[in-house]
Amino acid sequence: MTSDRPTMIEFRDVHKYYGDYHALRGINGEIRAGEFFSLLGPSGCGKTTLLRTIAGFEDISSGAVLIDGKDMANVPANARPTNMVFQSYAIFPHMSVAENVGFGLRKDPRPKPEKARAVEEALEMVGLKGFGNRAAHALSGGQRQRVALARALILKPKVLLLDEPLSALDKKMREHMQVELIKLQRQVGITFILVTHDQEEALVMSDRIAVMFEGEITQLADPETLYRRPNSKKVADFIGTMNFIPATILSENGDTAEIEAKGLGRVALDISAAPPGKGEAPVVGLRPETLTLLYDDQKAPERETDGVIDEVIYFGDMTYYDVYLGGTDVEVRLSMRNVPGRPVLEVGTKVRVAWSPSALVLFR
Amino acid sequence: MAETPSSEAKAGLKLVSPTAIYAILLLAAPLATVLLYSVLTDGQNRIIWDFTLSNYVEVWTGKVYQAIMLRSLTVSMLVTLVTVVIAFPIAYFVSFHVAPSRKALWLFLITIPFWTSYLIRVFLWKVILGYNGVVNSGLLTVGIIDEPLQWINYNVGALVVTLAHAYAPFAILPIFVALEKIDRSLLEAGQDLGESRLRTFWRVTLPLAMPGVIAATLIVFIPTIGDYVTPDLIGGGKLPMIANMIEVKMLKQNDKAVGSAIAVSAMVIVAVITLIFLFMNRRFLRGNAR
Repeated sequence: MTSDRPTMIEFRDVHKYYGDYHALRGINGEIRAGEFFSLLGPSGCGKTTLLRTIAGFEDISSGAVLIDGKDMANVPANARPTNMVFQSYAIFPHMSVAENVGFGLRKDPRPKPEKARAVEEALEMVGLKGFGNRAAHALSGGQRQRVALARALILKPKVLLLDEPLSALDKKMREHMQVELIKLQRQVGITFILVTHDQEEALVMSDRIAVMFEGEITQLADPETLYRRPNSKKVADFIGTMNFIPATILSENGDTAEIEAKGLGRVALDISAAPPGKGEAPVVGLRPETLTLLYDDQKAPERETDGVIDEVIYFGDMTYYDVYLGGTDVEVRLSMRNVPGRPVLEVGTKVRVAWSPSALVLFR
Repeated sequence: MAETPSSEAKAGLKLVSPTAIYAILLLAAPLATVLLYSVLTDGQNRIIWDFTLSNYVEVWTGKVYQAIMLRSLTVSMLVTLVTVVIAFPIAYFVSFHVAPSRKALWLFLITIPFWTSYLIRVFLWKVILGYNGVVNSGLLTVGIIDEPLQWINYNVGALVVTLAHAYAPFAILPIFVALEKIDRSLLEAGQDLGESRLRTFWRVTLPLAMPGVIAATLIVFIPTIGDYVTPDLIGGGKLPMIANMIEVKMLKQNDKAVGSAIAVSAMVIVAVITLIFLFMNRRFLRGNAR
């Protein structure tokens, strides 16, 4: 849906060293105009550093960062067409809400009343109409974030950078703001780049996600591809829950492979979309929701395997079961919706587990 | 149940009594004595219990008192200005450009002047700036001047240099603390929103450092206006300030009534100026928000 858009940001073999520490190790890739893009990874993976190289707060050691086709090498932060929402929001405590939002308008040639109207409009856009005269230090976390958004968006940047903007909010507020941010992004059409360590947040909000580990982009894809076809065990493990089952490759023939997975038995796999081999010990990955417990006389549409429930984790709408497969020590987690007529089973219950070969991802 | 609060109050009074007695004996009592003396009549070596405001009339209309009060204010304002202007860049440097692990060391180094007595530091400046001092003899030896410079000692400039040096650490510390409290992402935000480093300093750093600057101003201004040793030693007795005047009245001329009136007047002036600064500080703390 965004693949036909022009490139807004391009990374060309970007490296960053802090002394001996290699923080960014050859970042390549592009972010398209109008895209909601996320940089996802564990802390220390370089995602914030990469965001700061776009903003101009970090010099890069080698390579190039291009914004809208222009090399940013000698462009200082205050001259870049980007604005940032800081993790701490960085609201100026000595100013009112309106003064904060209007901070960047000093050089704007418009007359004062027009600037004041622009500030009022920006506040209205983020749902803070009439808050202009409030003292900035008297705002709640969610309100501060809105002020930070209004302050950045009023300057109509080409790119809005968001550094873990939701991490300081409580769960309810966070989920609310996720939806608001998506709506806001659609409304203004500006490229949003979000840094987050929360995979769920990235999946919910983004058009595309770059998953980063140790200063490298491990996979850059849309949320569904990332979830269903992770290109490495690391990515699979970081995003959502993935069961890993040791396997042996019996034969490989072009796009198909015959494997023996512990507890599942022999499976023929279509490996045309599988990640390239890295020479690791082969394992197959299975998401919990692709496994189903069979009740009474239900029949599996494709394959089924016997198992014993080892652990029951009740979540209200869902129940997670940890199940030993086929008399082996291989344990998988599967999730079942708690619909009427489907009782929550007890530990030790012998069960049949249905699964589909097409849901298996082979890592080798 | 009704006696519970009062027994609590009693326990509280017991707890604060040592400090309360200390404060009453050493602060309130002398202050009350001075206030009382200032409205009584002087009777040469004794105080006559005859209430009058003539002491105040004398102090506020006397040309000498006015001149000396004015000098005290000028000197302490100059000292404050010089001290704060010198202290700010030092505090800024330590806060922004010294590695966090080294900051404690730097602050420690800044306090080194405190290791010697104030009196010795004042004498030190006398040695440097004096008629036969380091500067003059140095310049004489090199041959730049033929006779010792008179204008470098016994004047307001020498007073200001001495006092500014003595009070610099007092000014650096509160400014440093205020600068340390500034969230560094605010400065990045300033640049992110299109302002240069200098403009960001002007619009963000300086206003946020103002509480520290005003604290420094008060910490330097209040003690220097009552400074007594420096004008005596550096000024060579030719540049008396208000404290020297009080000393002369109280101890040399034994006119405790007028001496007290000067003291009270000086206190009132300092209090008024302090209140103005505190009010400004509150303005800055609250920002321009209503």
